[in-house]
Amino acid sequence: MQYLGALLPRITRLQALVIGLAVTPLLLGGAGVIALLLFLMASGGTVTGAPEQPIAFDHSVHAGEAAIPCQFCHRGVVTEASATIPSVQQCMFCHGVVATDRPQIQLLQAHWETNTPVDWTRVHRVPDHVRFVHAPHIQAGLDCATCHGDVASMSEVRQVRSLSMGDCQGCHRENSASLDCATCHK
Amino acid sequence: MSSAHEASARATAVATLGETIPTDAEVTPLDGRRWGMVIDLDRCTGCQACVVACQAENNIAINEENRVLERRAKTWIRIERYWEGEFPNAKARFIPVLCQHCGNAPCETVCPVWATYHNPEGLNVQVYNRCIGTRFCANGCPYSVRYFNFWNPEWPEPLNNQLNPDVTVRTKGIIEKCTFCLQRINRARVTSKNEDREIADGEVQPACVQSCPTTALVFGDLNDPSTTASRLAESERRYTLLENFGTDPSVVYLKKVDPHVEIDHHHGHHAETAGKHA
Ligand code: HEC
Ligand code: HEC
Ligand code: HEC
Ligand code: HEC
Ligand code: HEC
Repeated sequence: MQYLGALLPRITRLQALVIGLAVTPLLLGGAGVIALLLFLMASGGTVTGAPEQPIAFDHSVHAGEAAIPCQFCHRGVVTEASATIPSVQQCMFCHGVVATDRPQIQLLQAHWETNTPVDWTRVHRVPDHVRFVHAPHIQAGLDCATCHGDVASMSEVRQVRSLSMGDCQGCHRENSASLDCATCHK
Repeated sequence: MSSAHEASARATAVATLGETIPTDAEVTPLDGRRWGMVIDLDRCTGCQACVVACQAENNIAINEENRVLERRAKTWIRIERYWEGEFPNAKARFIPVLCQHCGNAPCETVCPVWATYHNPEGLNVQVYNRCIGTRFCANGCPYSVRYFNFWNPEWPEPLNNQLNPDVTVRTKGIIEKCTFCLQRINRARVTSKNEDREIADGEVQPACVQSCPTTALVFGDLNDPSTTASRLAESERRYTLLENFGTDPSVVYLKKVDPHVEIDHHHGHHAETAGKHA
């Protein structure tokens, strides 16, 4: 209040009170709007570290050294929405005989014998209101690495690209793919 | 559809979401398709199969009795019943009413955040995550087919297991409505592209159309004159709901006017609707 007095020396107390009461909510409201805008701009894709997995599956061994094609395990990727994670049966294809003495493989075999799936932790996950479909992307000739980074050299898969709305749309714009909200939102 | 309202709504969208919001031209490069539905009222028996199918396909919350009594029940497609004639010569008539996906939609112009808009394939789209729940659109809709979520939906075990993963579960505070089963349209587009062909006539069937035992409902591209829907829409029995409002609906109704029924405009000819919910 005394600042107002310094600015406007001839102001009465009552006038100062009225001006103060009128201006304060405006200032607070403005700050609120700015905070809201900042919040909305900041929320969006997050790039996280690699989550812990129940079995220490290593892409650099399988996709890297052993050069197993991605599609051998992620079978849905060319034709479906989901790339899909391979079943235990598919691992046992090799691990029925390969490296059966290692503790991690014995974990895997326990799943096989008890007929239970491995509860892998998701690394990439778009929100529920977003529709993402792998098929058209792979068919448009995009490499897995464009979005997932060099998985073949990763010991643990982690997310390297934000895959936020701006990120998706940036590429869609460059490739004249759809920018219609209904393409990506369900 | 362009208007001062929509332009300002888009400006708000740009301010909050950044420059990622596409321009008008990018969103509406009209590729020639217009999804639409033809409903033959002479075939409709009012059986409600479409209502049930829609409820299951689109994760629509369960309408408990009190929600219906409060007029807050959600049914993206509903059967309105009305009577023609006076007892004992009264006839029950049925009209399935769903979002009309108007070419000139009153709901689209009133949304302050551009959460509802017209897409290039003629659909009236509701972007749930963009919606802030003003309900202006529901109040602007002359067909009362937009529903507000007054609660978070709940599905008791084991019904939660039948939720459709291709459809968002809408939370409290937003508007929802018929999408013409957008998820099925999207799927057909991806499949047809996979197989390097166009979407065939009849390939996309919204849940209501698929479940109709009398094929009273037919879905298709109204801009392609060769589709069954287009041909039916040419029928001389055709009319659209509340034609005089100029909303240009994508849903066309067929009905033979029965010359034997005397219509009493004061009684008897009123719809017993599920009612406005808002
Ligand atoms: C190319 C795909 C794509 C298109 C087109 C698209 N979006 Fe998005 N949108 C996304 C993705 C992905 C996210 C999730 C971002 C995240 O959370 O990391 C998102 C998030 C959002 C959010 C934030 C939701 C929240 O809860 O944080 C809003 C609002 C939104 N989109 C509105 C729109 C509108 C309106 C349009 C049409 C003008 C549109 N989007 C078009 C991909 C898209
Ligand atoms: C031998 C089978 C196998 C091969 C080959 C393989 N993967 Fe995987 N992939 C898995 C398994 C199992 C998981 C789940 C565990 C994990 O996330 O590490 C996985 C997870 C992933 C994920 C993370 C999924 C998520 O939760 O978001 C990505 C991305 C991925 N793989 C990409 C690739 C790419 C790209 C290639 C080829 C360069 C490839 N994978 C080759 C088996 C395989
Ligand atoms: C095409 C054959 C093949 C398939 C399929 C396969 N692996 Fe392997 N895996 C290998 C080879 C080869 C090695 C390297 C063994 C070595 O170090 O001598 C290996 C190593 C491993 C190791 C490291 C063992 C250790 O402790 O050194 C783990 C864990 C593993 N695989 C898990 C899996 C899982 C889980 C799956 C199924 C998603 C799977 N593998 C599918 C061939 C395969
Ligand atoms: C245009 C970007 C893009 C490309 C290219 C891409 N992915 Fe993905 N991938 C994603 C996104 C986004 C998700 C998260 C999807 C979700 O949450 O539904 C994902 C999820 C996954 C997952 C885990 C969930 C699932 O769908 O099963 C795997 C595995 C995967 N991708 C593998 C691959 C492989 C293998 C390739 C190459 C053949 C590939 N991706 C190419 C963007 C991409
Ligand atoms: C690196 C480039 C790139 C990125 C990143 C990308 N896309 Fe795409 N996307 C494309 C291309 C190219 C097409 C077009 C394919 C076509 O037209 O056949 C496409 C097509 C699609 C389609 C299919 C459209 C249809 O016909 O139904 C969807 C859905 C989609 N993208 C969603 C997303 C979402 C969601 C994200 C972000 C999580 C994303 N895309 C990120 C390049 C990308």
